[in-house]
Amino acid sequence: MTEAMNTNDADATRQPAGQVLDAHLHVLDRQVLDRDAVPVTTVDDLELDGIELGARIEPGSPPPTVSAILTGPQLAMRLFGGHAPAARRIAIPWRLVADIGTVVRLGVSGDDLDAGWVERWVSRHLIGRIPGGRHDPE
Amino acid sequence: MILSDLLGSVAVEADGTRLGTILDVRLEVSGAPAQLLAATVVTGVLVSPHSRFSTWGYERRGEDGPLLIARLQRWVHRGTFLVAWDDVERVDEGRVTFRPGYVQRDAMLPRATRERT
Repeated sequence: MTEAMNTNDADATRQPAGQVLDAHLHVLDRQVLDRDAVPVTTVDDLELDGIELGARIEPGSPPPTVSAILTGPQLAMRLFGGHAPAARRIAIPWRLVADIGTVVRLGVSGDDLDAGWVERWVSRHLIGRIPGGRHDPE
Repeated sequence: MILSDLLGSVAVEADGTRLGTILDVRLEVSGAPAQLLAATVVTGVLVSPHSRFSTWGYERRGEDGPLLIARLQRWVHRGTFLVAWDDVERVDEGRVTFRPGYVQRDAMLPRATRERT
């Protein structure tokens, strides 16, 4: 650690321009709600744009950005290792996120997203075939 | 690249000296204006010199309770520091290399974040 400067207030002059979050602490595993506060999924992983493996990052390069929330098989991959093929990943584009607090809120309806296809399929093909499964309890 | 590829990576200096493990990635919602929320950019990485295990954020939020857990967590992640993304020179699989002369910054979150989440 000979070349590194160790400082507690080196960043004191730079005030963050927006909300500051730690990805693991504040975003991973949080519930995702749609614009009607209906649960959609949870944040299993995030896709980052702008990081090229093995390539030198030139000083002054634009920083990486968060491009999508990943869900579906991604949780098992995160826990046990490995990678799901990109085609199998279920992604919610980050541009649809409206707010990040104790939950992640989207600005769109969850019915329009691929992330809910399993629930929609089960609802239509399994629950819907049970007598009384297509309407509220009376 | 996905976030979990970065988490748990070994953090090293330019000369190969091991510094610790990438514990978290600091984000800032401050990029180009977008449809709903401004673009969210990576501003740095957090390095824990002593543990690669998940943290509950005690060392970044100044929380004290429950006291026993807070003390244990602070001890496990003692010396955790933040390195700005500008000081990252290279990202390889399982390894993040910092530039010569990189700066170790205070890992504490801003007050607004600590109060909100």
